[in-house]
Amino acid sequence: MTLPTGRGVRRLFRLGLRREEIIRQEMDEEVRFHLESRIEQLMNGGMQPDAARQEALRRLGLPLEAFTGEMHRSAQRKEQRMALRESIEGVIQDLRYAARGLMRRPGFTLVAILTLAIGIGANTAIFSAVDAILLRSLPYRDPARLVDIVISTTSGVEDPWSWPKFGVFRDGSRSYASMALHASADATLTGADPARTSIEWVGAAYLHTLGVRVAMGHDFPADQDAGPNAPKRALISDALWQRRFQADPAVIGKEVRIDGDAYEVIGVLPPAFRGMSGKADALIPIASRSNDGLMEPWSLEFDLVGRLKPDVNPAQAVTEAQRVGTLAYDRYPFSQGTLTTSGTEKWSAKARPLNSIRAAPVIQRSLLVLFAAVGMVLLIACVNLANLLLGRAAARRQEIGLRLAIGAGRGRLVQLLLAESLLLAAAGGVASITLAWWGVHLLQHLNPADALQAQGIGPGIAGSGFDAIRLDPVALAFTFGVTLAVGLLFGLVPALQATRPALTDHLRDGGGAARVSTRMGVTRRILVITEVALALVLLAGSGLMLRSLARLMAVNPGFTYDRVLTLRTSFPPGVLSRDSMPGFYDQLQARLAAIPGVRRVGLVDCPPLNGGCNGTIMTFPDRPQTVTGNAMIGVHWVSSSWFGLLHIPLIRGRMFGPADGPGAPRVVLINESAARKYFAGENPVGKQVKVYQGGFDKGATVIGIVGDVRFGTVDSAASPDTYIPNAQSPRSNLMIFLGTSVDPSSVSSAARRAIAEIAPANPTYDVRTMAERVGNANSQSRFSAVLLAIFAAVALALAVMGIYGVMSFGVVQRTREIGIRMALGAERGQVLGMVVGEGIRLAATGGIIGVVAALAMTRVLRTLLYEVAPSDPVTYVAVVLVIAVAVLMASWIPARRAASVEPTEALRS
Amino acid sequence: MPPSAPLLKGTLDVLVLKALSWGPMHGFEITVWLEGHSGGFLAVDDGALYQALHRMEARGLIRADWGITDNNRRARYYSVTAAGRVYLRRASATLTRYAHTVVAILATARR
Repeated sequence: MTLPTGRGVRRLFRLGLRREEIIRQEMDEEVRFHLESRIEQLMNGGMQPDAARQEALRRLGLPLEAFTGEMHRSAQRKEQRMALRESIEGVIQDLRYAARGLMRRPGFTLVAILTLAIGIGANTAIFSAVDAILLRSLPYRDPARLVDIVISTTSGVEDPWSWPKFGVFRDGSRSYASMALHASADATLTGADPARTSIEWVGAAYLHTLGVRVAMGHDFPADQDAGPNAPKRALISDALWQRRFQADPAVIGKEVRIDGDAYEVIGVLPPAFRGMSGKADALIPIASRSNDGLMEPWSLEFDLVGRLKPDVNPAQAVTEAQRVGTLAYDRYPFSQGTLTTSGTEKWSAKARPLNSIRAAPVIQRSLLVLFAAVGMVLLIACVNLANLLLGRAAARRQEIGLRLAIGAGRGRLVQLLLAESLLLAAAGGVASITLAWWGVHLLQHLNPADALQAQGIGPGIAGSGFDAIRLDPVALAFTFGVTLAVGLLFGLVPALQATRPALTDHLRDGGGAARVSTRMGVTRRILVITEVALALVLLAGSGLMLRSLARLMAVNPGFTYDRVLTLRTSFPPGVLSRDSMPGFYDQLQARLAAIPGVRRVGLVDCPPLNGGCNGTIMTFPDRPQTVTGNAMIGVHWVSSSWFGLLHIPLIRGRMFGPADGPGAPRVVLINESAARKYFAGENPVGKQVKVYQGGFDKGATVIGIVGDVRFGTVDSAASPDTYIPNAQSPRSNLMIFLGTSVDPSSVSSAARRAIAEIAPANPTYDVRTMAERVGNANSQSRFSAVLLAIFAAVALALAVMGIYGVMSFGVVQRTREIGIRMALGAERGQVLGMVVGEGIRLAATGGIIGVVAALAMTRVLRTLLYEVAPSDPVTYVAVVLVIAVAVLMASWIPARRAASVEPTEALRS
Repeated sequence: MPPSAPLLKGTLDVLVLKALSWGPMHGFEITVWLEGHSGGFLAVDDGALYQALHRMEARGLIRADWGITDNNRRARYYSVTAAGRVYLRRASATLTRYAHTVVAILATARR
């Protein structure tokens, strides 16, 4: 084997003087010699000394001083170039040497590269999500100047704006260059082929505020905000332009019908922009609504985005919002009929950077937890590789000792050993890109927008969601950085350890060996302990999340959903009068019930686990009324069959019957929570209540109590609810529930056909089994828990590999000792116990550190856990048991090998 | 002084390598060798020579070591490296072909 020599003796004798000085002196000497030789030559040719000197100087081409200066510079340049060349050559030489070494051990190399590829790839994938959702700047012009403004009550509850309240705020604010309300809504594109889509109601300055330009046509004129009944104009998405108008270049001035109203298309949005909701097909002006729809101060439905003036800092805007918000409150202090906290509490306005609301806190936290977890997995992988390299360094100590002895610098040897780890890391980094690419696609396709909504989590801001996750240059730069860091991390410890000067003892062989291998053993043990501790933290975290998920899945939501299909249909405005709706729904229910496989049909306005439903206040005519003591209650329009279909029990009183029709006295059902909260100690059945929606503010009789149903999220208990019979208060938009005797999704096309037959103008949409809805409601928790569990499993596997490696190595090193022990009469069982005992000691140390670290670190999981404490003892006991079993298994095989040592052979070797 | 011609660009390196291919020489010896072998026709500027030596040393074509001259003086001796030999072989082949071609063209033009 040839040893790379690199910088050899050439500079060996030049220590002491500064290099530049030496170079100058040598050059001077060379020039002097040259001149003297020339003079000598000329004098030999017959010249006089003076003339010879003159001629020699002339031949230099420059005055002597200038000439030497020129030569100094030239020599200096040469030295620099050579130094650079040598270091590059040295690195190349080292890399080549390292590559040859790695090729000789393909098994080790392959395992190392795979480990790194998984570790780095997973980190890149999670990082790309962190970047897209938390870091990357929002896709608007100068996003740092954008703020989001909400109504905020003294108790910290946030509400959106109404048009009149916004008017007070706008007129009182001085901080904004422009601002605009906006709200995402579902709508029906009416016409020949009715389709459900998403739109945004916006203020005229919406695009201007965000800094987005239309791709075609023009933006809303400034007077578009002069409402009510402002001209009906629309900006349509590029997608809608392609789909509905076949990309017609003359689309401007044409008409698009949304929920029955005709809007004039005045512009087409750029393809990348679909409103802040990220899914709008049209932007339509809020001010085009009629007086009723616009001027109600308690119709709180709009978000507000503003762009700060260049000379205003965000802190000023915060102060101003508080002051101006109070002005708006003074104008509209209390509400009479809506379920808003700001209707019953003192409120003001709150401004905050738009960037701060880009992702829901639960998403932010989950991502950061996953990022930390995947970082720990990579750390364990590094520890494992460091251990493997350390083992290898021990095997090479003779070679390394020789190199040190013949004068190779320690730095040079560390570089040589680092070349190996960096080469491995680079190979792993390149391989990791495949994995990262796959992971990024997986994350993109998860795009849990529906699921998040089902958990009451806002959609976030478009352009910073799961759909924005990409393997872009930023992510690749991250990969590069991590690869480099990892290569140094797992290479440096073994390299420094292996090149300790004490290793030269190995040249003498014998005495020093034991001492040095002990020190190496200590390092390796520390690494294993680290590994066990890290794996335990990960296992504890994922154990807690899994337990929380199990609790969540075991929650009784208040209904059963086996074999239930849900779908929605809605009447475009004006198609059907309110009075004829009950008759239509009867017909629809009869038609659907006739589909083979359908057993029951039920109707409700808002399905369970929807992330929240409509609500209002309820008052009690027989009690004294106070404005702030209003009873908040969720309101649901149902058909009587709906309860039986979902097996929601009747606790007391009676159900809605055929007699509770349009003309009959108004009746309501309430749930157990409402009975407990608002009728403590009384029997509510037969009592009078007023519900401020659906015409029930004139009073209705409570006829019964039904079981609680979770309409919000799986992890939040049911709140007080009341049910209004659909027959007494018809709705144009209801969700249809079909209880089936067959696979529920198999009847969906028959149901669509049935609806199209009797109501051709109605779009049918949102077709899903109830089981899917429930599954979506758990998906965020499932996503985090499953990913964490995968990371923890990988961590455990790596840790087991690490322990196995150290134990086997230890047994091989101690073969002689074991032989002696056995020759002296030790039983095989004792040897077995000795080796396993050592493994358990390591695991116990790592385990204790890990438990302490886990108790400290899992506290960040608190807000992500459902009914599980971060210090849940069951989880910890289980995790410690798992680690103990894993360690026993990992040390069993080396222990068996130790116990089978033949004393005679061991002593001879 | 005999009449002299300036060196064509790039030829100095090759000529210096050719000189050194006979054995290690110090800077002055190279000058003398070049003057002698060109019959004094090629004028080599001293500065240009040393810069060429530095350049070739940096490129690894030659190496420099301090040695002792016949009359016991310390001098820097230059010698060709393996890479320098390869470079010399290639460059002199190119240069020879170049010179032959130029000569041939000039000869036909005379006719």
